Amino acid sequence: MASLSTTTSTAAGESLRSFAGLRRETRILRGVAAADAPGSQLRRRQLGVVRASRTSPRLNGRKLRVAVVGGGPAGGSAAEALAKGGVETMLIERKLDNCKPCGGAIPLCMVEEFGLPLDLIDRRVTKMKMISPSNVAVDIGRTLGPDEYIGMVRREVLDAYLRERAAEAGASVINGLFLRLEQPEGPGGPYRIHYNEFSPAGGGAGERRTAEVDAVVGADGANSRVAKSIGAGEYEYAIAFQERVRIPETKMEYYKERAEMYVGDDVSPDFYGWVFPKCDHVAVGTGTVTHKADIKKFQAATRLRAKDKIEGGTIIRVEAHPIPEHPRPRRVLGRVALVGDAAGYVTKCSGEGIYFAAKSGRMCAEAIVEGSENGSRMIDEGDLRKYLEKFDKMYWPTYKVLDVLQKLFYRSNAAREAFVEMCADEYVQKMTFDSYLYKKVVPGNPLDDLKLAVNTIGSLVRATALRREMEKLTL
Amino acid sequence: MSMALFSSSPPPPTTLSALSLKHRLSFRTQLALFPRKAPSLLLPRSTDNGAGVVSSTATVAEEEEEKDKLEEKKEETPPPAAAEKDVESKQQSLLGSNGAAARAEEVLPPKFKDPRWVGGTWDLKRFQKDGKTDWDAVVDAEVRRRKWLEENPEASSNDEPVIFDTSIIPWWSWVKRFHLPEAELLNGRAAMIGFFMAYFVDSLTGIGLVDQMGNFFCKTLLFIAVAGVLLIRKNEDIDTLKKLLDETTFYDRQWQATWQEDKSSSDSKAK
Repeated sequence: MASLSTTTSTAAGESLRSFAGLRRETRILRGVAAADAPGSQLRRRQLGVVRASRTSPRLNGRKLRVAVVGGGPAGGSAAEALAKGGVETMLIERKLDNCKPCGGAIPLCMVEEFGLPLDLIDRRVTKMKMISPSNVAVDIGRTLGPDEYIGMVRREVLDAYLRERAAEAGASVINGLFLRLEQPEGPGGPYRIHYNEFSPAGGGAGERRTAEVDAVVGADGANSRVAKSIGAGEYEYAIAFQERVRIPETKMEYYKERAEMYVGDDVSPDFYGWVFPKCDHVAVGTGTVTHKADIKKFQAATRLRAKDKIEGGTIIRVEAHPIPEHPRPRRVLGRVALVGDAAGYVTKCSGEGIYFAAKSGRMCAEAIVEGSENGSRMIDEGDLRKYLEKFDKMYWPTYKVLDVLQKLFYRSNAAREAFVEMCADEYVQKMTFDSYLYKKVVPGNPLDDLKLAVNTIGSLVRATALRREMEKLTL
Repeated sequence: MSMALFSSSPPPPTTLSALSLKHRLSFRTQLALFPRKAPSLLLPRSTDNGAGVVSSTATVAEEEEEKDKLEEKKEETPPPAAAEKDVESKQQSLLGSNGAAARAEEVLPPKFKDPRWVGGTWDLKRFQKDGKTDWDAVVDAEVRRRKWLEENPEASSNDEPVIFDTSIIPWWSWVKRFHLPEAELLNGRAAMIGFFMAYFVDSLTGIGLVDQMGNFFCKTLLFIAVAGVLLIRKNEDIDTLKKLLDETTFYDRQWQATWQEDKSSSDSKAK
C-alpha cells in the first residue's frame, strides 16, 4: 500500500490521498445503503462533509431531468436511486428481453445491499473446483458458512427486476435505442439526446425522438455509445465466448452447487475456462485478451478438458461478448458520467462486473441526488467527479489486488500450477471467499499472512523449477 | 494439359507431353486394377493444408477421367475438367472436413500412463532406492507428466482425480537439486567479478582489500555487483526487469487517467 500512496500523491492530489479511513467508511456505507435513507441530511452527517454546488442555480418550477442510457444492472440501479431521490428520470433500454451473455455470478453482498429477492437466484454455488494445466483438481469452498454462497442468476431475470423497481420508484422506462447526444450550447444548457423509440407492438425501426435533459448517465455496456459521444477513449477488452450446453440429468447433479474453473495455456493464455451451472443447463466458456483470433481453439480445448462431465450434452446457444479490462481514460465529461461496463469496471483475474456495475450506477445516482439537493438544483461536473472519487477510493484495493493476482498467477502454466496448489490451503480459501463475497480486502492474522507468503513463494519456486526441467525435456 | 490437374507440377513442355501421356495411360490401367474405394478414404488425414485438398481433388479428378473411356484425352478440355474439379473440390472439402472430423474424434490424444502413477498421485513406494525414496526420480516423473499433458491436454475426470501436490517432496531435495547448482554458478560469477574488481581498484588506487571494504564507494560497488549477478543472468533479463517495473504501475495509471484530465482542465469547479 505504501507504493500506492506515493503513486497517487503525484496524481490528482487531494482526491485519492490515502485509504486509511477506507474500512470505516465501507462499513458505514453498507449500513446506509441497506437502510436506504431518503434524506441527504442523514448521509451528510455520516459521511462527513458533502456540499452541494452552492454556486449552481436553483431550477425554477421543475425537477432535475436525467437520462439513463442502458437498462442493465448499472442503468437499473442508477434509475432507481435517481427516482427515489426525487429526480425526473428516463431509462432508455433497447431490448427489454435481452439475454446478455454473462457468467451470471453475483456475490452475497449484492443480495444484501440491493435487497434482491432470493427467488431471483437460480443456483447457489458453494463449491468451486479449480483445475490446473496438469489436471490437478482442488475443491475450494470448505470454509464457507451454511448461508454463504455465490448466486447464479439469469441476466434477463435480474435486469428486468431492477428495471421494474426503477419504474416503481418513478422512473419512466422507454424501449428505445440511443443514437447520439448533443452537447449543450452554453453552461447550464440542456443536453439533447436522440433516440429511436420502439412501439410496444414491436417491429420496425422505431420513431425518431429527441429529449432535453440536464444530465446523462451512460450505462450502455462495453460498446457504449454515450462513451463515444463524450470521447471517453478506448480500453483493452477480452472476448468471452460461451456455449450453453444442456447435459443429462445425472451429469447435471454434479453441477448442482458446483462451478469449475480450468486454467492452462490450452484453455486460455491470459484468462480461464469455466463451467458454470445455470438454471437447467451449464455454460461452458473461455475468454482471452491477447489471442482473440484463437478463441474457437480455446473453446474446443475447454470442452475437451470437461469432456467426461459434459458428454452427451447438446449445445443450445452460442454467445460471445466483449469484457473491458480497465476503465476508460475519461469517465466523466461535463454532466455526462459513465457507469458499469461502459466505464470499464470489470475486475481482473475473475472478470466480475455485475456487482460493480450496479454499485457504480447507484453511487453515480446518489452523487447526482446530493449535488442537486434532491433534484432542486442544477449539477455540474464536480458533483459527478465526487462519484468517481468515492468509487475509486472504495474499490481500488480490490481491483489492485486482483490485478496483482492476475499478473502473478496467470503468467504461465508454471504459475497456474502454483496457483491451484495454493488454493488447496484453507487460509487462502477463506481470504478469497471473504474478499469476493463481501468486497472487503481485509488483512487477517499477520502470522497467517506470513505463512501464506512463504507458501506462495514456495509453490511458485517449485513450479518454476519443474518448468525449467520440462523445457530441457523433449518427449 | 491434363498434367495441369496435378497442383504442384508446372505444365510440362510439349516435347515431354507425349511421353507423359503414355505414362498416364499405363498409370490409368494400373489404377483400374485397384479396387474402387469411396472418395473420402483417399483423402489425406487432415484437410487443413490446401495442398492436401488439391492433391485429393487431383486423385479424384483422375478417377473421374477414368470413368471416361480410356482414351488419350489430349483435348480433355481444361474448362469442363476444371469446372468438374471445382465442383468436386467443393464436395471433397466438405466430405474431407467431415471425414477428418470424424476421424479426429476417434483418434483421441493418447492418455498419460505410467505404472507408478496410481490413483491420481505418484506411489512413493515405487520410487525406493536403497530403502529411501528417490526424490529426484519423483521430480523427473512429475516433469514428464506435466510435459506430456501440456502437449496432449486431457479431460479432467471425476473418477480418477489428480491429487498430487508438489509439497510432499521435502524442501531439502528441492534445494539440493535446483538451488545448489545455481547458487554455485552465481557465487562463482560473484567471486570472479570480486577478485577482478579488487585487483583493479588496488592497482589504480593502491588501497588493499581490507581498506577497500571500509570505503563507502567500494561498498556501493560491491552491492551493485551482487545485485547485478543475482538479477541479471541472461542478456534478456535487463529487458524483462524494465518491463516488470513498467507493469507494476501500469494498471494504476489506467485508473488515474480520468483524474489526470481533471488536473489539466481549467474549468471552474467548486471544491
